[in-house]
Amino acid sequence: MDYRGPLSGIRVVDFSWIVAGPQATRILADFGAQVIRVEYEGRIDSIRMGNPSPGSASGSPNASGMFNNLNRNKLSITLNAVHPMGLELVKRLISVSDVVIENFRAHVMESWGLGYEEMAKIRPDIIYVAMSGFGHTGRHKMYSTWGPTAQALSGLTYMSGLPGVPSAGWGYSYMDHTAGYYGAAAILMALHHRERTGEGQFIDISQVECGMVLTGPAILDYSVNGRPYRRPGNPPGNHSTHPATAPHSTYRCAGEDRWIAISVFTDTQWAALCQAMGNPAWCREERFASRTARVEHQAELDHLVGEWTAHQDARELTHRLQALEVPAGLVQNARDRVEDDPQLRYRQFYPELDHPELGPHKFEGLPVHLSETPGSLRQAAPLLGQDTDVVLREILGLSDAEVAELAEAAVF
Amino acid sequence: MNPRQTVGPLTGLRVVELADEKLQYCGKLFADLGADVIKIEQPGGDPARRIGPFYGGVPHPDRSIPFWYDNTSKRGITLNLAASDAQRLFRSLIQRSDVLLEARPPGYLPGLGLGYEELSQEHPRLVMTSLTPFGQHGPWKDLKISELVSMALGGPMASCGYDDHSVPPVRGGGGQGWHVAGHYAFLGTMMAVLRRQASGRGQWVDCSIHEALSCTTEGAAVAAMYEQKPVIRQTGRHATVTPSAPSQIQCADGRYVAGVGWLRVTDATWEQLVAWLGRDGMAMDLGDPRYRDVAVRAAEAGHIGEVLEAYCLTHTAEEVFRGAQALGLTWGLVRSPYEVVHDPHSQDRGYTVRVEHEDLGQSFQYPGAPYVFGVSPWGVRRRAPHVGEHNEEVYCGELGLPKERLTLLAEYGAI
Repeated sequence: MDYRGPLSGIRVVDFSWIVAGPQATRILADFGAQVIRVEYEGRIDSIRMGNPSPGSASGSPNASGMFNNLNRNKLSITLNAVHPMGLELVKRLISVSDVVIENFRAHVMESWGLGYEEMAKIRPDIIYVAMSGFGHTGRHKMYSTWGPTAQALSGLTYMSGLPGVPSAGWGYSYMDHTAGYYGAAAILMALHHRERTGEGQFIDISQVECGMVLTGPAILDYSVNGRPYRRPGNPPGNHSTHPATAPHSTYRCAGEDRWIAISVFTDTQWAALCQAMGNPAWCREERFASRTARVEHQAELDHLVGEWTAHQDARELTHRLQALEVPAGLVQNARDRVEDDPQLRYRQFYPELDHPELGPHKFEGLPVHLSETPGSLRQAAPLLGQDTDVVLREILGLSDAEVAELAEAAVF
Repeated sequence: MNPRQTVGPLTGLRVVELADEKLQYCGKLFADLGADVIKIEQPGGDPARRIGPFYGGVPHPDRSIPFWYDNTSKRGITLNLAASDAQRLFRSLIQRSDVLLEARPPGYLPGLGLGYEELSQEHPRLVMTSLTPFGQHGPWKDLKISELVSMALGGPMASCGYDDHSVPPVRGGGGQGWHVAGHYAFLGTMMAVLRRQASGRGQWVDCSIHEALSCTTEGAAVAAMYEQKPVIRQTGRHATVTPSAPSQIQCADGRYVAGVGWLRVTDATWEQLVAWLGRDGMAMDLGDPRYRDVAVRAAEAGHIGEVLEAYCLTHTAEEVFRGAQALGLTWGLVRSPYEVVHDPHSQDRGYTVRVEHEDLGQSFQYPGAPYVFGVSPWGVRRRAPHVGEHNEEVYCGELGLPKERLTLLAEYGAI
C-alpha cells in the first residue's frame, strides 16, 4: 500500500460500532490513518449482521452493504478484551497507537479496566475519544441513544416538520453522521495540540450535545427574546422565515412522488420564474407584486406555482429554472444521485471497490478534495478478523508460539 | 473556570475567513477552539447580518441572532476586495495567516488575481479552503442554491417528511445544509493543517456542499447502491425500503416520545418491558409466554404498538422516556431546543456558556460545545464582532497602516 495521506503514520485503535463511531474513523481512514477495528464475535457490530446485501450468504458477518460503505480502508482484528490475555494485547496495541476511540455507554471501557487514566499510564500522550449518548458525566450518563433519540432530545426533531402538526423529524440518523464528524474533528484538533505541546488528552463527546450545537439560533432566540420556536408558521418546513420570502417551497412534479424545491429571494428571480411559467396573468396581480406581498399571500402563491410544476419533469425543470438563475433543484432520491446526477458522475463521487464476499460495489466518495494529499478509497471493508494475524505479528511483534497460545486460550 | 483564560487546541493558528452565510459556522469551529479568526466582510457588513431573528425583534446589522451564534470568538474587519489598495492589504493579511476560508463562486478570487495559485506563490504554507455549492469543477458548478435547494439535490430531504405522501418531503430544520458543509470544510482544512506540519507546505482544499450532503444520508445511499431501490419517507422515523411501525407516540401531556422500538430487544429486556407496563396493570396480554418468541413479536407489532400507545396516553412523555431508559431502551423524548438546555443533566455538565454583550449591557445564555476536551478546552472568547469592529486593531495595530490612511480608505469605500 503506497498511498500517503495527510494522516499516514497515525494509528487508531477503534472499538466503535453501529454508525456514529465508524463514521468518525471512516474519515480518518480515508485520509490515511491506520484504523484497527477491535472486534469480537461475542460482541459483534450489529451493522455487520443487518441488511444483508441481496444474494449474499445468510448469517455471514461480512454481507452488509451498510457496513462495507462505513468501514472501507480499515483493518479488523478479533480480540476478547474482557479476557485477561486479550486485555493485555489491547494494552500493548494502545502503547503503540496515537488514538483510541469508542462509542459505548459511559461505563464500558472503565469496566474493562481501560479508563483514560489507565491508558495514559500505558501511553502518556494517548488521545482517547469517548462518544456516548449523554457524555461521561452528569446524572443521565448511563442513558443511551441512537440517532433518532439524540435528534429528539437535542431539539432537532422538534424543529423539523410543518407547523401545527407533529414533528416529521429526520428520516435517518443525521446525528450518527454528525456525532461522527465531531468525533473526527476532535481527533484532528487533539493531534494538532499534541504536535505543539506533546500532550495527549481525553475527549468526552455526547451525541445529544452534538445535536444541541446545531440548534443555536433557536436556543438564543429563546434566551435573548423569550420567543418559542413552535408558533404560528413555525417550524417553517420548506418555507423561509428568515429571511421572509416566497415562493420558497417544495412543489409536486410529474411522475410518482417527484418534487422540486424552488427558492425565490429577489424580484429579479421572481420575474424569471414568471417568465418560465409563461407570464400568466396572476403573476402581475398586486398580491404578488413585492416580496412582502408574496409572503403575505404565500398559501395562494404555493398553490398556483404547484399547479404549474405538477405537469413538469422535475429534472428538466431544474435545468430550465437554473438557466434563468432561479435557485431550484429536484428532490433527488438516492437512486437519482447514484445513477443520474451529472455533477456527482463528473466528480466520480461513487468509486467502485471489490469485496471478497460482496463483489464490486459503489461507495460514497469524499466531499473534500485536498490538492496535494487527497483522500482515497483503497480497499473494501475488512472481513471479520481478517487482519488479526498481521496486527499481532507485524505490529505487536508476537511470535508463532505466542499467537498459538492466544488461539488456544480462545482470545480471538 | 473562566473560558477566556483557557487555551484551546488551535491556539496560535491564524485563520482569515472570507465567508458568507454558508461558511461562517466553519469559522466558529476554529474560533471557539482558540484560533485567531479574522472575518473579512464587505463595507457595511456581510449580508448574513441581515438574516433574523434579531435582538428585540428589530433588524440591525449588529443584532442578528444567527450571526451572533455563528461568529463567536472572531474578530471582524471590513474590506472591499475589488478596490486595488484592498488587494494589497488582503495579501499582507494572508502573509501573516495560516488558513484562508472562502466561499466565493468558482473563479471569483482568481479573477481578482487572488486565487490559490497567486496566493500560494507568495505564501507556500497557506492552506486555502474553498467551499462552494458543487465544488470548483463540473457541469453544475455555477448552479444557484439556497439551503432548501441544497437539501433537495443533496438527498437529505427525500428521506424526511410524513407517512402521508400528498405532503411534500420536508427538510430537517435549523439550516443543517450549511452545517454539514461546514463540518466537511473544517475536517478538510484540519487535514491540510496537520499535513503542513510535516511537509512545510500548504494546499488547496475544494469542498462541495452537494457532496457533503450526498454522503450524509445514511441508509438511503446504501439501498440505492446495493438494492437499486429508493427508501420511503415516514413520519418521525427512518425512511426504509419496506414500511416500518410508527416510533413517535403521543403521551398524556400531549408531548411525544420518539425512537420507540421493541422489535430488536433481547428476550430479557422484553420481559422487563412487560413487567414495567404491568406495574400499572397495562401490559394487557403481553405477558403471554408466546411473546417470548421474537417472530411472534414481529408478527404482532401492530398490537404491541397499540398497547404501548395506551400506556403512553396515561403517562407523561418525561415519565415514559425515563422509564424506558432505566430498562436500557434507547427511547427519546421530543424536546424543544431551549428545554434541553435547562435539563438537569445538561446543567450537571455545565453545558451552556454566558456571553457578555457589553454594548447592550447584558449577557446571554449560549449553547456550549459538541466536545469536552480534557486539557485544551473549548470556549467562547468574545461575542460576534460588530461591523468593522477590529479595523483599527488589525490594519493599524498589526499591518502597520497609519490611522490617516485608514480614514482615507474608509472615505472611498475600500473598508
